[in-house]
Amino acid sequence: MKRDRDREREKKSFNGGVSNGGFSGKGKIWEEDEEETPDAGMDELLAVLGYKVKSSDMADVAQKLEQLEMAMGTTMEDGITHLSTDTVHKNPSDMAGWVQSMLSSISTNFDMCNQENELVLSGCGSSSSIIDFSRNEQNHRTTTISDDDLRAIPGGAVFNSDSNKRQRSSSSFSTSMLTDSSAARPVVLVDSQETGVRLVHTLMACAEAVQQENLTLADQLVRHIGILAVSQSGAMRKVATYFAEALARRIYKIYPQDSIESSYTDVLQMHFYETCPYLKFAHFTANQAILEAFTGCNKVHVIDFSLKQGMQWPALMQALALRPGGPPAFRLTGIGPPQPDNTDALQQVGWKLAQLAETIGVEFEFRGFVANSLADLDAAILDIRPSETEAVAINSVFELHRLLSRPGAIEKVLNSIKQINPKIVTLVEQEANHNAGVFIDRFNEALHYYSTMFDSLESSGSSSSASPTGILPQPPVNNQDLVMSEVYLGRQICNVVACEGSDRVERHETLNQWRVRMNSSGFDPVHLGSNAFKQASMLLALFAGGDGYRVEENDGCLMLGWHTRPLIATSAWKLSPDSGTGAGEVEM
Amino acid sequence: MVQLENGTNFFINDNVDVLIVILQRLDGGSLGVAACVCKLWCSITRNDSLWEHLCFRHVSPPPEGVRTVVLALGGYRRLYMVCIKPVLDRLRKWKKGTGFDESEVMKRVWMQHEVELSLSLFCVDYYERVFLGGGGGAAASSLMFLCNAVNV
Repeated sequence: MKRDRDREREKKSFNGGVSNGGFSGKGKIWEEDEEETPDAGMDELLAVLGYKVKSSDMADVAQKLEQLEMAMGTTMEDGITHLSTDTVHKNPSDMAGWVQSMLSSISTNFDMCNQENELVLSGCGSSSSIIDFSRNEQNHRTTTISDDDLRAIPGGAVFNSDSNKRQRSSSSFSTSMLTDSSAARPVVLVDSQETGVRLVHTLMACAEAVQQENLTLADQLVRHIGILAVSQSGAMRKVATYFAEALARRIYKIYPQDSIESSYTDVLQMHFYETCPYLKFAHFTANQAILEAFTGCNKVHVIDFSLKQGMQWPALMQALALRPGGPPAFRLTGIGPPQPDNTDALQQVGWKLAQLAETIGVEFEFRGFVANSLADLDAAILDIRPSETEAVAINSVFELHRLLSRPGAIEKVLNSIKQINPKIVTLVEQEANHNAGVFIDRFNEALHYYSTMFDSLESSGSSSSASPTGILPQPPVNNQDLVMSEVYLGRQICNVVACEGSDRVERHETLNQWRVRMNSSGFDPVHLGSNAFKQASMLLALFAGGDGYRVEENDGCLMLGWHTRPLIATSAWKLSPDSGTGAGEVEM
Repeated sequence: MVQLENGTNFFINDNVDVLIVILQRLDGGSLGVAACVCKLWCSITRNDSLWEHLCFRHVSPPPEGVRTVVLALGGYRRLYMVCIKPVLDRLRKWKKGTGFDESEVMKRVWMQHEVELSLSLFCVDYYERVFLGGGGGAAASSLMFLCNAVNV
């Protein structure tokens, strides 16, 4: 019973707190079907820092903060000392309320300015205009784009630490009114829907400009995107911001450093794993195919092309442990990139899996291989035992597409696979063509794809669910997971849009393209059975917001999508009976 | 205490076997409530075999070896609370929504799948909890820590 009480308390505090533990004291008892939480409508980025501001109030709060700053700067010292002695302090994490109370406790000579601002507000038409907080320019402005510093790069909207900076984008598309007062700010409302459409158009126009190498135009457009993006909310804003950042990087040639540790990417992927079902779907469907391929075998060997944290394998080991007839001897070979700090990450994962295997009674052996690229390995290194004694499965989740960045790599790897002579090859890839030669096509594809992805994240983050564990989806307070998942996707976006040549590794291709490639390299498809389909459907039903996800069967392969758009595809392959070890012709 | 027809008094706590038979028919929530009655009931309801019975009540007999695995991964009570109950609850809602075929055979087949899925999720949960420090990502466990500190 105590445990239930604790759980109630946890739920309450989960509800009232943000990720850094700030409590707003609003903890209501939180029921399973409740849609609204105290965090609804709060700006997520500020929430991560502990400030609760409603997205709809942002303009207001920003303006008031400006006024407060001015007031504290210009008021005589006596005017504000009472603030230090005043014992009533509002909770600063509720920014809107705090700022209001601070403003009203300072002298009232700014009332006049407020009134002037009201006039400005009412004087504006309903068409969209832009928030403008330029401190220096108080006179009438022309519609010029100020030749300004890199703050215009909308990266600030995503990674900023100062709420003011975001609003204060210094490029000024102003339709503002004249003011004489030193404190007045021309504040104008933004019509969100119109700017949404305009945002998409501007994004595509900017990409077009980049395609035509018209970098000055592209530069202007990208700043405009930054401003428009801020006026949106939710998924649209995030997608636009990431794409704008990627475009900016491409224009200014500030390419993302590839020195980001793979351990960081692993962490991001873990959050992605928790927040949405894509990776779980990938793992469960691939495992099902492997399980079925291994029926009747006493010794099995799985080669994982990207081990990461090894999240796929506990479920497979458990299924093997409980299969009728008892578990086989299970051998796992994990491949991973070198770690910058020289820690042996693969061995650590292997050790953890070994302990799990011992717990559930499965004979286990692990081997790790560090390689910069899969093409650096070949069959001889991997210690393949004769296929009469040991069945081999090869598993590649979101890894094979990286080989397309170097000519010849994919053929080499497919050849090695054939030499290994596996019973089954499971392949999970993003269902999109982000490898077109023409930049603008790639950009448009990616825009649609990631918009859908972010949409699905958004709704899985905002629906309610009840579970004390991390396996079944968490309540929406886990915004940090959501933000990290978005960063994970953001890095992919950056790579697709900003990078070229061998740096551009996120070369996603559609299921049909992979089919052509695999078929011509000597592989035959293996149909994923109805068990896999059932498991996948059930898994999705568990996820909050699960109504949006769709499992589709496509000629033996399973695709997971959001509403009508498939997003990832799982397929399984075996060697054609008549294929030798020679390379097939592959259309690149 | 119940008074029987022949005049003797019947104390349930003296007849633990009867109590167990009754408890076996309860659902998870009621078992939780029952655990609050007294120390005896508390210790009985914490017995994992009751929960094992609850987990596999509607399913055809589970394959051998399940018990070793489940006990190793944390026990039937945890399996029920962490995986089976949420899975069944959510899937019940989902099935209602999709106008599902509720024939007896289909029910059993689906329950089998649900249990298998629950077991897989249970294993992943164990792995995360024990090896990846904290289940649900580090954020969740650090939040828990903060909650406790405040309540002190």
